[in-house]
Amino acid sequence: MTIAEHESEVDLLIRTFRMMARMNRAQPEARPSETLYYQMLAEYYNRIRNARQVGKLLAAHTVFFPTEILYAMDIIPMHTEMTTWLTALFLREQAELLAKGAELGLAPEICSPHRGVAGIFGLKAIPHPDVILWSNLICDNTAKSGELMMELSHSPGFFVDNPFQNSPGEISYLVDELKDMVHFLEEKSGRKMDWNRLSEMVIHANQEIELYQEICALRKAVPSPMSISNYLELLSADYLFPGQPEAIKYLTQLRDELKIMVERGKGAVSHERFRLMTLFVPPMHLINYLARFFEEQGAVSVVEPLFTCWPEGELDPSRPLQSVAMKSFLIPERRSMYGPLGEQALQDIIDSAQQYKIDGAIYWAFMGCRQSCATVRVIKEALSEVDVPMFTIDCDIVDPTVNSEEEIRDKLTQFIEMLEDR
Amino acid sequence: MYSVKIPSITRYQIVGCYRGRLNIRDTKLPTLDHFRVVNHAFPKTKEIMDLKRQGKMIFGWLCTYVPEEIIHAAGILPVRITGYSREMELEDGNAYLYVNNCSFSRSCLQMGLRGEYDYLDGVVAGSTCDGARRLFDLWLHYIKTPFHHILTVPRKYTERAHGLYYEQVGMFKQHLEQYLNIKITDAALLQSIEVYNESRDLLKKLYELRKLDKPLITGTETMEVLNASFRMPKELFNHYLRQLLAELAISGRACPSRARLMVTGSVMNNPEFIQSIEELGGLVVTDELCTSTRYWSDPVVLDGWSPLEAISRRYLSNFPCARMVPSDGRFERILQLAREYRIDGVISQIIRYCVPYAHDLPLMTEKLRQINIPTLALDVEYGTSGSGQIRTRVQAFLEMLETRKK
Repeated sequence: MTIAEHESEVDLLIRTFRMMARMNRAQPEARPSETLYYQMLAEYYNRIRNARQVGKLLAAHTVFFPTEILYAMDIIPMHTEMTTWLTALFLREQAELLAKGAELGLAPEICSPHRGVAGIFGLKAIPHPDVILWSNLICDNTAKSGELMMELSHSPGFFVDNPFQNSPGEISYLVDELKDMVHFLEEKSGRKMDWNRLSEMVIHANQEIELYQEICALRKAVPSPMSISNYLELLSADYLFPGQPEAIKYLTQLRDELKIMVERGKGAVSHERFRLMTLFVPPMHLINYLARFFEEQGAVSVVEPLFTCWPEGELDPSRPLQSVAMKSFLIPERRSMYGPLGEQALQDIIDSAQQYKIDGAIYWAFMGCRQSCATVRVIKEALSEVDVPMFTIDCDIVDPTVNSEEEIRDKLTQFIEMLEDR
Repeated sequence: MYSVKIPSITRYQIVGCYRGRLNIRDTKLPTLDHFRVVNHAFPKTKEIMDLKRQGKMIFGWLCTYVPEEIIHAAGILPVRITGYSREMELEDGNAYLYVNNCSFSRSCLQMGLRGEYDYLDGVVAGSTCDGARRLFDLWLHYIKTPFHHILTVPRKYTERAHGLYYEQVGMFKQHLEQYLNIKITDAALLQSIEVYNESRDLLKKLYELRKLDKPLITGTETMEVLNASFRMPKELFNHYLRQLLAELAISGRACPSRARLMVTGSVMNNPEFIQSIEELGGLVVTDELCTSTRYWSDPVVLDGWSPLEAISRRYLSNFPCARMVPSDGRFERILQLAREYRIDGVISQIIRYCVPYAHDLPLMTEKLRQINIPTLALDVEYGTSGSGQIRTRVQAFLEMLETRKK
């Protein structure tokens, strides 16, 4: 059955996530945090499905968008890249999405999530958004994808221009951009911004960042308690529910589970032999396979310095819009995927390698993410200064035809053998 | 300001020495031949190295959103950093910048890594696209040119965006002043504006000659002129360009064609690519490239602004790159060029992994289709000469255009 023949793609996602949550609940050994995660995803798409019915504005937006603002305005956010990613991952319909993207004229060098976004809009496989919101954070793809989405959906849109550096003038520029977006959304939704609610979300965002930091700290334990299969969960909580109680609940549950494991001296794998640093994101369709492979090899991914390690920085709830703007300068992905890549960023990676007692690093070089791959060599050299070897694997995070289990197994086996020799 | 000695016409005697090696055709345009000599010697042209020997500072700039006038007004020679504008293995570029970054960035980095820009005292970039930003990051990390600066370049044209860019241009000026321990005065800025505006005006005159039914200059030759414009003091370039215009006026040339073409897309400064199109009978009569029309088309207009504000306004409002939002500004200018130059077809050449242009392509193709202009979309690498499959596709495109005319 093709996407167009489904009543709704979102219905399928909801059914899938609910089923996963039910299956988890039925298994006594399953992690409660995983159940919460699937419930969270089901609820996310349930809100999208019902937006029109309950008279709420549905806003499609690109990655790293300050969705706290949407939540505070009671607008339903729909994350375009994550929706493509999850559709590819859980419904296995990436081939059709990417084919539609190609049919629309997008070159194969454009990253697969963005070709998929065009595809998902072209196929009308998601509910029609009332507005399109996009920004240049985190790359040229995000900056350029909004206009095509507007063209395909005939929806009005707003582009947030996110400055490159963080001088006071640039921060105030971003705050003013966000103010304009708030006006745009007030006009389109007929609802006023609830500033008190936004302040609450900033408080939650602070809690969320703190929870990420606590989770990172727990993962420093030997053996390390978190499996690589939690990686997508961590990203989803951050990308879909920033400053939301759902994210707090999920992260608290995960932290508590990890805490118990650390207290009991239990690791994510039965016999921890190699502690790995993960750079960028592995092909998520292989994540369960990777978890099994790591278990066999006694390898555990203990840190993702470019994605899940939030730096220190407290947001001020009394200045909610400024805080939301500031948060976009704090996000861990910014340095690796946007820039500037200063010496401090490299030092942070070196520090991570030492603090987490890393034996080796794997750079998942997602070929669609040019600006991230540009850091491969420089990070490899930085890690070699502290005697941490880095292995690079070219991959695609959406398109499963790029990497097979066998190929990944062969490559990782070589790397593990090299680590054993050391 | 640095002083530039304007050479006499006898300088062209030099050209004779190079004629055989460079395969210069007898164009009866000695100035054009001289431009070819300059381009052949780049990055270490005589004009640049003479100034270097005199103790002058040379700064490299990346991307047309870097305001050259500020560098010029500081008494520094601005030189555009380009890659190898020819087919070339990029072993070092690939090793350091990864193969999925655009070949322009990899090519520039490779030249830097190999010391071909070792005379540079500074490098200035704009945060214009992923490739430019990462090239700048790695340039700092590996090449370590003494002075470096990157300007945040907004993607919008709003008054607020102009305000931010003005602040950025001011910060760049201040950084330069502190570094050199000088004051860049308004008078110096005005003088630089005059020099650069003259250059833009002369290039506009050159382009007017391409609007003729039978243009006086080919697209290939124009690319040689444009390349030279980045590679010598502007005062000197203006002098030569005035001479070239005079030579063209009396040349009696007329370039016939099977079809009038416009080339659009990613950064490209390889005359051989244009030549491969023109050898097939198409004539490139205009272009929408950051090395051509988008480089020179809009002057700095003082119009009550301070010199710094006028410069800042010009650079942000200039003929837009595909990075800008909304894209309509770029599309409108392309359509305007298509009408002014009576274009039969557009050749869009997009470097692999050049995302801004790749994203714009479906929308641009549709806009052109609406005014009955077909587009040939070519995926290329920077420096490609347009041989092989590209040649076959251009040939087929030209045949299609001819059929439409009948």
